[in-house]
Amino acid sequence: MKRPSGDLTIAAIVLVAIASSLALSAIPSWIRYIAEIAVAAALAAVGVMILLRAGLLSFGQGLFYFLGAYAVAFLNRHLGVTDAVVMVLAGAAAAGIVAGALGFFIARYRGIFFSMLTLAISMVVYGVAVKISLFGGSDGFNVGMISFFGLHPRGLNLQMASFLLCLWTCAIFAIGAHVFVRSRLGKVLEAIADNEVRLEFLGTSVRDAIHIAYVAAGVLAGAAGALAGIAARHVDPSFAYWTTAGDFIFIVLLGGQASVLSPFLGSLVLETFRFIASASFPDEWQLALGAVMLVIVLFLPRGLDHVFVSLRRALTRPKARTEGDAIAEVVRP
Amino acid sequence: VSTFVTILVDAVSYAAWLFLTSIGLTLVFGVLRLLNIAHGGFYSVGAYMAAYAVGLGAAAGLGPALQFAMAAIAAVAVGSVLGLIIERTVLLRLYRHPEALILIATYAVFLILEGLTKLIWGGQSLYANQPRDALGQMRLGVLQYPVYDIALIAVAIILAATVGLVLNATRIGRCVTAVVFDREISAAMGINVGRVMIGTFVVGAALGAFAGAVTAPKIAISPGIGVEVIVLAFAVVVIGGLGSIAGAVVGAVVVGVARAVTVHLFPEVELFAVYAVMAAVLAIRPHGLFATPETRRI
Repeated sequence: MKRPSGDLTIAAIVLVAIASSLALSAIPSWIRYIAEIAVAAALAAVGVMILLRAGLLSFGQGLFYFLGAYAVAFLNRHLGVTDAVVMVLAGAAAAGIVAGALGFFIARYRGIFFSMLTLAISMVVYGVAVKISLFGGSDGFNVGMISFFGLHPRGLNLQMASFLLCLWTCAIFAIGAHVFVRSRLGKVLEAIADNEVRLEFLGTSVRDAIHIAYVAAGVLAGAAGALAGIAARHVDPSFAYWTTAGDFIFIVLLGGQASVLSPFLGSLVLETFRFIASASFPDEWQLALGAVMLVIVLFLPRGLDHVFVSLRRALTRPKARTEGDAIAEVVRP
Repeated sequence: VSTFVTILVDAVSYAAWLFLTSIGLTLVFGVLRLLNIAHGGFYSVGAYMAAYAVGLGAAAGLGPALQFAMAAIAAVAVGSVLGLIIERTVLLRLYRHPEALILIATYAVFLILEGLTKLIWGGQSLYANQPRDALGQMRLGVLQYPVYDIALIAVAIILAATVGLVLNATRIGRCVTAVVFDREISAAMGINVGRVMIGTFVVGAALGAFAGAVTAPKIAISPGIGVEVIVLAFAVVVIGGLGSIAGAVVGAVVVGVARAVTVHLFPEVELFAVYAVMAAVLAIRPHGLFATPETRRI
């Protein structure tokens, strides 16, 4: 069954991107920065969501976030590349190549072993990066001059340019992810979570599908890391620490998995909550975060987007057929 | 030679500690099939309770042995109660949801427990070192070693033996083993699976708190001690094979040796040695050392 809402999602992404671009100068700069980080994290979370659709929980997406960010920093520092678009593409490509190589090994694992292995690899990289001066030790280092298509904006203009870059990169990658999720392969991933043995009986290579999804998730996290590096103008090894990946997972949990838009919703809510919590009760924000998480898990286990899903269902299909109706129809002569 | 002895003693003592912290986690995984991040929370609650009890005992003029007994009892009591409350209010409602969601729920519980300990005891470090100081030091060949740390090895061995005995030689233990093996068949054979699950979670929580209590005299008790423990205990349990007690012993020894060797010989890789070992073990044995291969359901 083809659902027409696919185009609606793309339209929504484009509309929000255009609206935010037009309203650019009206948005206060601190909101712009929070939005930039939130949107970049959401892009990485989209990758987590793709893997989670196959029933795989990756605790190692921080690795690709780290690779994307360090690709930016290294290009800038050692090769003198300043063009932001080139740097983002390089970050995504670097992460994609590493994910492609690791995928041969990782795609064999399922369940908790997939989670622990991704965690282990990411933490080994973190441990190496902290000790090696090439990566700037635990402090990391700053990203120097950045240019956009040959222009060298400064001050406020630079902030705005970096915001636009982040916005549109995320929009384009999100549309790509949307097409991927709706493609045949996207359906295969959902089927893997249901029953992978049957899927293999039908002639599909589960391992290849997981490998591709892993690369896709890596590319998204790499692009996100590159954007985060450009937004903050600073990179450090903590990007590969497991709490970074934990954030992405939480964003997916919070936002839900109904659409690629869901992680963006989740990320904005999380960043806003974190901002409010750390400002109004700095000592207890961890407690508050835990309590909010627990409430969501217990009462909205499918995530915030489920509110919209049920709303749309109520609007488009006023009278839902329940199982009882169907049985009644069959039983009646 | 002295380096070798040091590494050996350190490895065994560290392995004993790792076993104490991860035994509850592997039990809970075996029976409930969930990876309990809140275990780290029970650990830190246990450590704080121990500090509180030792403080009370010292104020009342009790001896170090009594202080330690109070600490262990207080930690186990509070751990059990917390375990019971959490199982009844949170986990019970989530068993039919996907693994990832339950994982996040236990993470939320962990954050809440961490926040609560910080709220109750504040952000500064607490100490419960009296029982450890009272036992003094002993000579082991060329090196001086705290008696308390050696005693912990004995505690770990006794605990392993007790758990093994309870699981293999008592009726309740055999019920638990049956539930680990196959939940549905156990229920069909008349085992009250729900009760076994509650019981195991409470025992797992109590063991986590107990691990915190026995560690308390060795460390500065401060917010955040639980985080490190979760990841280490996860590594131990995954290396050994989830849900296996023998696996937890072997996992603890493997990680203990890896850490002792790296600390003394290659200090620069200490930070990630545990993860490297875990990745290596999983590369060779994808389900851990002691895991039985699971049949795939069609």
